[in-house]
Amino acid sequence: MLYLKSARFSLVLGAAFIAIGCAPAAAEDVVRFGAPLPLTGPLAPEGIKQQQGYDLWAEQANKAGGISVGGKKYKVEIVYTDYQSNTPRAVQTSEQMITQDNVNFLFGPFGSGAAKAASTVSEKYKVPTLAATASSSQVYDQGYKYLFGTFTPNDTLTTPLTQIIKSQAPDVKKVAILARNDLFPLAIAQEMEKSAKANGLEVVYFEKYAINTLDHSATLSQMKSLAPQWIFITGYINDLLLIRKQMVDQQMKATVVTMIAGPAYQEFIDAAGQSAENVTSASWWHPAEQYAGKDIFGSTSNFVKLFRDKYKGDPDYGTASAAVCGALFQIAIERAGSLDREKVRDELAKLDIVTFFGPVKFGENGQINSLEPPVFQIQGSKPIVLFPQAIKQGELKLGVN
Amino acid sequence: MWVAQVLINALVLGCLYACIAIGFSLVWGVLNVINLIHGSFIVLGAYLAWGLYQALAIPPWYVLVIAAPLFFILGYLLQWLLLNRVITAPVLVTLTLTFGLDLILNNAMIYYFKADYRKLTLSPPMGSISLFDVVVPVDRLVATGFALALTGVLYLILRRLRVGRAIVAVRLDRDAAVLMGVDVKSIYATAFGLGAALAGCAGVLMALIFPISPLTSSTFLGKAFVVCVLGGLGSVSGALAGGLLLALVESVGATFLGPSHVTTLSFALLIVFLIARPQGLLGRKGFE
Amino acid sequence: MTRVNLALLVFIGCVAALPLFGGAYALRLGTIACMYAILALSWNVVGGFAGYPSFATAAFFGFGAYATGVLLNKGVPLAPSILATLVASLLLAGLLGAVLLRLRGHYFAIASLSLVEVLRELVNNATDLTGGGMGLNIPLASGSGILADATFFFYAMWGLLLATALMVIGVSMSKLGFGLACIRQNETASDMVGLNTTLYKSAAFGLSACFVSAAGGLYAAWVHYIDPSDVFDILYSVKPIVMALMGGLGSPLGVVSGAFLYLALEEVVWRNYIQIHSGVLGVLIVMLLLFLPHGLISLRSRMFWRKAKHV
Repeated sequence: MLYLKSARFSLVLGAAFIAIGCAPAAAEDVVRFGAPLPLTGPLAPEGIKQQQGYDLWAEQANKAGGISVGGKKYKVEIVYTDYQSNTPRAVQTSEQMITQDNVNFLFGPFGSGAAKAASTVSEKYKVPTLAATASSSQVYDQGYKYLFGTFTPNDTLTTPLTQIIKSQAPDVKKVAILARNDLFPLAIAQEMEKSAKANGLEVVYFEKYAINTLDHSATLSQMKSLAPQWIFITGYINDLLLIRKQMVDQQMKATVVTMIAGPAYQEFIDAAGQSAENVTSASWWHPAEQYAGKDIFGSTSNFVKLFRDKYKGDPDYGTASAAVCGALFQIAIERAGSLDREKVRDELAKLDIVTFFGPVKFGENGQINSLEPPVFQIQGSKPIVLFPQAIKQGELKLGVN
Repeated sequence: MWVAQVLINALVLGCLYACIAIGFSLVWGVLNVINLIHGSFIVLGAYLAWGLYQALAIPPWYVLVIAAPLFFILGYLLQWLLLNRVITAPVLVTLTLTFGLDLILNNAMIYYFKADYRKLTLSPPMGSISLFDVVVPVDRLVATGFALALTGVLYLILRRLRVGRAIVAVRLDRDAAVLMGVDVKSIYATAFGLGAALAGCAGVLMALIFPISPLTSSTFLGKAFVVCVLGGLGSVSGALAGGLLLALVESVGATFLGPSHVTTLSFALLIVFLIARPQGLLGRKGFE
Repeated sequence: MTRVNLALLVFIGCVAALPLFGGAYALRLGTIACMYAILALSWNVVGGFAGYPSFATAAFFGFGAYATGVLLNKGVPLAPSILATLVASLLLAGLLGAVLLRLRGHYFAIASLSLVEVLRELVNNATDLTGGGMGLNIPLASGSGILADATFFFYAMWGLLLATALMVIGVSMSKLGFGLACIRQNETASDMVGLNTTLYKSAAFGLSACFVSAAGGLYAAWVHYIDPSDVFDILYSVKPIVMALMGGLGSPLGVVSGAFLYLALEEVVWRNYIQIHSGVLGVLIVMLLLFLPHGLISLRSRMFWRKAKHV
């Protein structure tokens, strides 16, 4: 008898809790964007950057009165949830935001893995989604119509890089590649391997390190013994700082050292100090670019200025991509003249416009194919752009200590 | 001569691993409690070192003196007030309890310090020394030196001080110790406090070498586990032996199998030892 | 069949009515609740009946997720994939059990915990088969609408829960259950009396793993994308234990209600305490273990005893 009571008690309690959570939200002249982000957990630093980009855009849009929808101004509201760097939760919050929080549109979660997982939900509910940080082409290979991404595929980073090195550093014959065993770092390392082989370089070392590796000394010792001229490391900022320090500890020297994706961030340059000198990298955007955008931010320099004013630091490609996603939604909604998801989706697919982030045009699969990702090198503690020609700031310097 | 380089790397790393594990080993050996908060204590110690260096430019070796009593008190209170209530409960309960406590501590750290990785960069940096083609970074050497000193201090405490002998007695035979007039409850608290102090000090040393973030606490804990099982519980020499063995296996494994297999290797080794030789390399009933 | 076990089946029957009350999101929660209940019930076989503190649940969950995922990717339909996963994990766990269950107490706990790590890294490194750190994409089981999809997976998980409950009830009523109870109370004595402890323990370990793996497989088909750190997450080992402790160790009904209650609490905490939810979970665990070590069930029996005094 008591067991029955206890069980029923639990069931009632459980149902009550679920019911409390299911209350629908009220409607106003507001357009809601859902933004599931990893605000805690290992990906938190990246998640917070994305949030900064979204917030900056929302602030600018609302300062101008809101988004103009068929003559009427709608305020921008961004609904954030934290999926704790856990992909299944990202999927769950995406669904929750559509069904419970009644968002009109979605921003994709951070990274390729979560973006791909969550895209199933947005496709099922037919909600246009812009993924700010999903670069792997595998994210876009499911034939979905409602997913768009603002990062070009990984090989657009590795190909120009390899060509520059090949033409300006002819002594470089051997490449060593060390990748973090994670979706993006591994995918881009594999692209690098393909690129290197296609350009006649010998890949003498290709290994992956586990996600929480603290000590790379054995790996680096072995790499050093193979004497490569080009060392290519992928990972997130903390991995790269650690590896760079351990490289210096072991007195490893090489003609070219490339790291993706740390050097794009100011935190990397500050923390690495002298050891960041002459490290090369590539990313999807750089503050030094000079595009005259038709979006709410206008020119790249204006975006950089607004970011600096609000956050007292320089924007990087992650924050810029997030902000441009907001700006692109704004343009699409204004062009569609309504909040109808089908119409907005069609406007996004038709886009062919210059923004502060670069020229934006989405391919058939929803991934952007119009960017020319910059290659840069840290010289004198500042990132100097080497490619593309239009915004080139300096020449490649060889030799890393 | 990169073989020599790999071996020297392993040696240095092994001492660091031993330092991480020694507090964990003490608590497990004496209280029979697997303290899952250990990793978070280490990270907390690292934050202390980092914070003091940022704010007052105090180098980490001086922070050791501050960290030890601070963490001792923290550990003592934790055991006295909370853990003592479940000290006789089955493994499940103590493990899950320390897991819950770790969740609280870890979450608190993420909340206050954020999950970003910090780095304690000494200025001027210590550089590295080079001998016959073998390069050793000086900061690791310094950390190793202090780590060995810490284990030495523990050894002396357990051998020379009265409270240390009492701890050993409780470890060897709890009931006999009670009959001999040892206040077991306070000995348990002391041992736990010592374990916490060692963890905090280990954290201070780790701050010199590794990046600091609450996310690394499970990595440190994992290492401590493996070292204890490999080397044997509750003994200083066991921790050293386990640390060296683990570091060696990792370094050699990374060289021949590639770094991606290192974790698999160390945990597979753990399982093998658990099955074949659960007392570890140097495990004994009491301290030496 | 005891009244308690009957009550369990009735409870599970009631849960089946969920689609009448909620939309897709409620079904999602319901599916997770059933999944948690499966994990907790299965753990109870080795942790509650046999008394071996196993932390290996996550290992088998992940194994099942990947086994099914790989099979689905090769074109095998859902039902045969789940079945194959179930059988495979039964065998695997049985074999591993024979080896690992020789350890007791702390050592067994650590060994089972290490199993999670080892399997995760093995999957991480088998990049060609499993995608390694890049994760595994699983094709959509059907192109049907959202509600139909959600309902399908809810009933699939519910069906698995029913099967698990029947298994657990079957074990508790059989010679195996009796043997496990003997082992829990005094293994050496049971051994001496002639009980084949190794066989019984392996059987328990196998049974505790197979439905967990099937649940993992179903989970993979449901979310379409898995990666090693998601499915080999230690929390999938710890949560069932907390649920079992909450509801009452050893009692299947208690364990299932513990699972449902835990999920409800998790949802509330996650929604309202975004930044400190894992800390709140920690506080919950600590409170539970210090003040209610025998679970909710003991609360009712304490009240029962109080009533008896007044009679």
